[in-house]
Amino acid sequence: MEVEIRNRPAFANLLVNLQPGDRIIAEADAMASMSSTVDMTTRMNGGLFRALARRFLGSESMFVNQFTTNTSGHIVLTQPFPGDIVCVELRGNTLFLQPGAFLACEPGISLGLGFAGLRSWISGEGLFRLKMSGTGRIWFGAYGAIFTREVTDEYIVDTGHLVAYEPSISIRVGLAGGVFSSFFSGEGLITRVRGPGKIYMQSRSFDGLAAWTNAHLW
Amino acid sequence: MLDPNQQFRGGVFHHSIPDGRIGAEIRITPSEIIAEPSAEALSAMDPSEVARLPRWVIPLSECQVDLGGASGRMVFCRNKERDLTIFCEERGFAAMLGDRSGGRISEQLHLVRERQAGENHRFRFWLAVGAAGTLLFGVIGYYSVLAAARFAIAAVPISMDEKIGSMAMQTIEKEKKLSADHPATKFTTEIVDRLKPHAAIPEMNFKVIVIDSSEVNAFALPGGQMVVYTGLLKKAESGEQIAGVLAHEMSHATLRHGLQRVSQSLGIVAAIQFLIGDAGGLLALGSQAAQTSILTSYSRQSETEADLEGARMLHEAGLDPESISEFFDKLKKEDGDIPGVLVWVSSHPLHEQRIESIAKFKSTLGKKEYSSLDLDLETVKKSLE
Ligand SMILES: [Zn+2]
Repeated sequence: MEVEIRNRPAFANLLVNLQPGDRIIAEADAMASMSSTVDMTTRMNGGLFRALARRFLGSESMFVNQFTTNTSGHIVLTQPFPGDIVCVELRGNTLFLQPGAFLACEPGISLGLGFAGLRSWISGEGLFRLKMSGTGRIWFGAYGAIFTREVTDEYIVDTGHLVAYEPSISIRVGLAGGVFSSFFSGEGLITRVRGPGKIYMQSRSFDGLAAWTNAHLW
Repeated sequence: MLDPNQQFRGGVFHHSIPDGRIGAEIRITPSEIIAEPSAEALSAMDPSEVARLPRWVIPLSECQVDLGGASGRMVFCRNKERDLTIFCEERGFAAMLGDRSGGRISEQLHLVRERQAGENHRFRFWLAVGAAGTLLFGVIGYYSVLAAARFAIAAVPISMDEKIGSMAMQTIEKEKKLSADHPATKFTTEIVDRLKPHAAIPEMNFKVIVIDSSEVNAFALPGGQMVVYTGLLKKAESGEQIAGVLAHEMSHATLRHGLQRVSQSLGIVAAIQFLIGDAGGLLALGSQAAQTSILTSYSRQSETEADLEGARMLHEAGLDPESISEFFDKLKKEDGDIPGVLVWVSSHPLHEQRIESIAKFKSTLGKKEYSSLDLDLETVKKSLE
């Protein structure tokens, strides 16, 4: 299965070329266009309870779509916000994704929803996270550009900017400065990540978008 | 209890691996930690890549351990050069390491756990401080907006009360309303007319209607329209007692308790609209809340205010402020245990306290010769039979 990430980084989308026997699983509303030779089947993502949990706790769709073909064809998958998409290949390892970031994966990947903890929640990274494990490629998106970092010791990320991280990464919440400078500088809370492991960050945050929108509504 | 051949699922970080990491099976021998690519990982790799992959070994004697990861329970084992990390999150891995290293690694892990516990402790402390702070901020914010709304009500024109009152009036069952020339209507109107000059807002458009119903009830709507049920008139022993009830109800109107109720029941949104003076939006909200049940169920504080203001009006009008206490004392004694009938009393709780506070207030008003109303309640009662 050939997958190309096009129009990077601002309006990235996936062009998937399917051959007989190929299968790709995608977030329910990710499909933007496809060949008429491609078959789409919608299925609940891992049983009713898990699907419901994914929907309400992880703000992902209850359903995922599976695409196959008997001849050949292509699909275009997009994410609902402007930004880059990356591909990560799992080989028996695990990756945690921020709710809403998942776009597509190969059938060897299993998706689960896990409690991310209060620390994650306070630092604006969500109370729950998607757990991707198995073997195969996954594609996920971000708001703005995506940059990665191999964290060996400790690293500081602004809240709301962490998109994905490995299970070997620990997350702690911290203040950007002192108690007062933190609240008046607008930096407030920060996320301290500790390695070893890789983190994926987005260059923009949805909180920032919300704040900007609010400031321009009146 | 420890199976020496146990395999653990985990992973390896090493520069020799394409992409730097791989899922692995881990064994702990009496002298070494050995990791090999997991079957799952191998299945996803090119055979040529697999051939080049070594086994990763860390001698137990030089293993440096740390705990961390997203769960806080992942065990990291590093070699002396710190360029190879074998990690595992499975239960029993730490115990096995401790066991095989003769306690040295257990000690290291113990120190790390203590450090983590300290961090968790601090985190929980600041979490509690943050939660308490947020709560306090919210509560203070809520009450200051409500308090500000209370003052802002003074700036809303009385015509607003009248509009809300009229809307509420439309929802009241008026089929059994007594005519304007009925003795009961004339009687209550006469009392209201006498009390009116002493009201806090004398120019308020007070109006009273009487409805034929066994309910012992009376209420005032915002703007000064009042409803008295014949059940209440029948229960009264004197005109002064009815004057007491009406003075209390007129006070609810002049103190604008209805608007306060609207602002409270509609919450913060309405309160803010009060503040920014959005009369149109307020009216729209008011129409939703213009149900008598909401408008006339006041807070305890409002009831006390109305009692005292009513007592003041009675005093000014030359009537005994305690006639109101007298009336609900009688109601309480006679029918206090019949539920549902005495709506007016049951909607006005804390009976004894009210009687007491009215008596106390009366003593501050100064001595005065109180007269009686020269109105004939008996004729009115007869006309209702
Ligand atoms: Zn009252």
